[in-house]
Amino acid sequence: MPFKLSEEFKTKAAHICAKYPRKDAALLPLLQELQGAAGYVAEEAMDALAQYLELPYARVKGVVTFYTMFNRAPTGKYHLQVCRNISCHMAGAPGLLAHLRAKLDITEGETTGDGLFTLSAVECLGACGSAPVMQVNEDYFENLTAEKLDALLEDLKHGKHPLKR
Amino acid sequence: MESILLKDKVRGLEGYFAAGGYKPLKKALALKPAEIIEEVKKSGLRGRGGAGFPTGLKWSFIPKDAEGPRYLVCNADEGEPGTFKDRELILKNPHALIEGMAIAGYAIGAAHGYIYIRGEFTAEAALLETAIADARAKGFIGRNILGSGFNFELFVHRGAGAYICGEETALLESLEGFKGQPRLKPPFPAVKGLFGSPTVINNVETLAAVPAIMERGGAWYAVIGAGKSAGTKLFCVSGPVNKPGVYELPLGVPLRDLLEKSCGGLKAGKKLKAVIPGGSSTPVLTAAEALAVNLDYESLTAAGSMLGSGAVIVIDESQCMVKLLQVLARFYHHESCGQCTPCREGCGWIEKLLNRLEDGRGTVKDIDTLYSVADGMMGRTICPLADAMAMPVMSFVKKFRSEFEAHAAGRCCPSEAPGKH
Amino acid sequence: MPKLTIDGKTIEVAKGATLLEAAQQLGVYIPRYCYHPKLSVSGNCRMCMVEVKKAPKLVTACSTEAAEGMIVRTDTENVKNARRDVLEFLLINHPLDCPICDQAGECGLQDYYMEYSRAKSRFPQEEKVRRGKRRAVGPHLMLDNERCVLCTRCVRFCSEVTKTSELEVMERADHSYIDLKEGRALDNGYSLNIADICPVGAFTSRDFRFKQRVWFLKKTPTVCLGCATGCLTEVHHNENTVHRIVPRPNAETNTWLCDHGRMAYRAVQAGDRLAKGVIKNGLIDLEPALREVASRIDENHASAAVLGSPWLSVEDNAALARLAADALKTENFCFDFKAEQGIKDGILINQDPAPNTAGAALIRAGRGGLTLEEFARRVADGRIKVIVTEARAAAFIKDAVKAAGARLIVFATNKAEIPAGAYATLPYACYFETPGTFVNYQGLKRRAAPAVEAREGVKPLWAMVNKLAVYSGTSLRLDCAEDALKGIEF
Repeated sequence: MPFKLSEEFKTKAAHICAKYPRKDAALLPLLQELQGAAGYVAEEAMDALAQYLELPYARVKGVVTFYTMFNRAPTGKYHLQVCRNISCHMAGAPGLLAHLRAKLDITEGETTGDGLFTLSAVECLGACGSAPVMQVNEDYFENLTAEKLDALLEDLKHGKHPLKR
Repeated sequence: MESILLKDKVRGLEGYFAAGGYKPLKKALALKPAEIIEEVKKSGLRGRGGAGFPTGLKWSFIPKDAEGPRYLVCNADEGEPGTFKDRELILKNPHALIEGMAIAGYAIGAAHGYIYIRGEFTAEAALLETAIADARAKGFIGRNILGSGFNFELFVHRGAGAYICGEETALLESLEGFKGQPRLKPPFPAVKGLFGSPTVINNVETLAAVPAIMERGGAWYAVIGAGKSAGTKLFCVSGPVNKPGVYELPLGVPLRDLLEKSCGGLKAGKKLKAVIPGGSSTPVLTAAEALAVNLDYESLTAAGSMLGSGAVIVIDESQCMVKLLQVLARFYHHESCGQCTPCREGCGWIEKLLNRLEDGRGTVKDIDTLYSVADGMMGRTICPLADAMAMPVMSFVKKFRSEFEAHAAGRCCPSEAPGKH
Repeated sequence: MPKLTIDGKTIEVAKGATLLEAAQQLGVYIPRYCYHPKLSVSGNCRMCMVEVKKAPKLVTACSTEAAEGMIVRTDTENVKNARRDVLEFLLINHPLDCPICDQAGECGLQDYYMEYSRAKSRFPQEEKVRRGKRRAVGPHLMLDNERCVLCTRCVRFCSEVTKTSELEVMERADHSYIDLKEGRALDNGYSLNIADICPVGAFTSRDFRFKQRVWFLKKTPTVCLGCATGCLTEVHHNENTVHRIVPRPNAETNTWLCDHGRMAYRAVQAGDRLAKGVIKNGLIDLEPALREVASRIDENHASAAVLGSPWLSVEDNAALARLAADALKTENFCFDFKAEQGIKDGILINQDPAPNTAGAALIRAGRGGLTLEEFARRVADGRIKVIVTEARAAAFIKDAVKAAGARLIVFATNKAEIPAGAYATLPYACYFETPGTFVNYQGLKRRAAPAVEAREGVKPLWAMVNKLAVYSGTSLRLDCAEDALKGIEF
């Protein structure tokens, strides 16, 4: 499938590139823009961006694979990212993950059949004082319990949390 | 003790302004850059990101006669497990950071500043963007600030998920659009930093302290705290305490006071076992050591650990130290940038050894191997990530060896059988 | 000019020199994987760590600048431990497949293990990180990521030398690996250098793989004849078979060697190698072929001519000049080859594809002769009817030969070289089999040395010329290549 950068993207990109003395410095923000639009960064998108920034493809691919926030495949509508680092671990993150696995019948890295939820275990989200924490797409949900999780999932299923996408 | 950084009702520009905000900037712009650096030196302010390097001295390393641009970079890539102070500071007092950066930019002769904020902090990044736009609208950021002739543009740059970018040269690489792999030093960023130009990189908390120092003087700041550890520090407490959170206290406060007075002590039924005092990379303290130590750079170094980022991770008796170390090892293994051999290979090896012990497949020999692998990583890499893995390993094994041995013997620790965690 | 002490020996080095370079000057070898003298310093392998007095930690010799009064030790327990530890780290996830690895015998892991480690593995085999096994990446290279030590020499080579940037380290931590775009071939004209600089068996040459264990190879220093650059090379051969060509780094021309130059040896052993003469399209024994050629020359004595060749050595061109002057006694000869000279790709490949344009000019300076234009004109207008030349040089007068129907008698090593319409072809020994002097575009005289023996009956070109002259009734008295050079400024 041929991938073309939209005119809208190019306008935005020009604006972002202007923040830096070298336009290749805009690689991360531009990948974030592409991911914001498509939900992930496809190979074709990397190629198109490499050409746009006049960079070797390998540099773009190296960057995409280095940083964990770039998805290389589509995720569900809601990407549930449960922190499992030390403070969240002590506050019960393993239990929450197990709860989600059982409830959604998927394991980490998988998406539910209805395309609604993708489950990931992630490292420290920097909100340890309100552990355990989960990030859903871009939003943080803190001081979680199994009950709170259940309520949140219900809300999400019914589109009640207007999460950004 | 009044708060310098964490104040209420200063989130918006109006509130900040009402509390005297941006007056320090005006004051600073009337001074010579060297005078500002002198004042910051006098304050005794030290880097709040973890290393504790004197801030004024860092600024003074920018070569005076260097041609071309200079840059100021704020490290808001808060990722050290246990640390969540910069997020709180940005959410509560974003203009202190922006004003601090304008002053620092003027002091070092930078016309451009970047705030490198971790990618997950989207709300915080958006809040900063708004705050910067507000400050720009009032002439505190942009061209000819307050009629002084000083130009300072400030941009927010989001990371994309890499703990290593908290290391300042990895951060610069990332800011330039590369993988976040630390650079060889020398050259140091003050000489050759962002885009090859002289650059100062400071933590959010460090920069946010600058306006108050400008306003009330270095001497005022220097007497807060404990000797060489001047000023207040944001301590982030996580773990089973009644009131976890961020507390701004003078450096030198006893850890016991932080836990008991600020955090309301451990939750009912919980007994203190250990404390990691400065973020997950710093050596663990036993309960006895923790309750005897003061929270400042010198006291913690004397106690065999470090102040680090001020992230106090409280561990109670119900926790298994082998399991917790496994959690940390998984993290460092995940975050090693892969550049240096000892870190790239060692972090994974350590995690595998801990997996064996945790699964009940480990032996006493594995414990010795664990320690020696960590020893083989210490001080042998470009950046301190290998040390950050090695220090918890070595301190956990040294101080809680019996728990590791119990695992090797297939016994319980502290109440569960291996493999059941 | 800082003065420093390394292992008790004092040395003064140029400003900016690193500890590794300073040690090298003293003859102190410091082990390394990622360091390469012609690539940027990366400092990632951590093998070259040394002790510097008053430094709190060991430092990497590759990245630390020598400073006045430094006291460096490369032989302390601390340094030895660091090397041993780095080796252990490198080996835990390595497949340890030396028996089936083509790098064996020239592998940095094997060599340093024997030198600095010899420790027993503490790492269970089943816990190794599995990475991609061998796969072809481009026409020349095989990549086995499991053997890779991630030194990034290959990545830096592609970004800094060829500037094609195909390669990159993907992912991070111990699951990182070298890769390039899916479906893209690593084919930048210099790709085999990557097999050379890869310190382990991750990148190997598809051409050389499994042909020969390296310890059986004999090495002959020689010069590449792939173009006018004249890179110094080393031919690796065994039992009269050439197996590969590698560069012989030198300050004047080359650190690297292009893929084209490396593959030049294939013609030596190719199936179309000539050992007999060819008349029109039929193979014929050498002696009858020579007799046939001689009689064709004799019947057109007044209109016979000799065209030298920028692909032939100075000596062989000189022999051809003798043929013209002393046997044919004609003024119809030419050693005038003009070609644009200079590096065309910014790396090694010359605009002039012939190795000895400058060498032929030496013959012209000593013996005179026609310009190429005049020679072609005489062919075109029929004053020259028979031309003795070398196969590839015939291309210079191709149109005139065709237009006038002149007879071409060429010397060729391989059938593929024979120009269309050639009347007769005589074989000769190539410069992997016989010595010769070549003058590169900078005017440097470089010697091609024989690595293997020519097939029975195949003689050097000067010897063939000597025989041809005899068949024409003249003795040139050429007993060796140098005999032809008399009277030539050389």
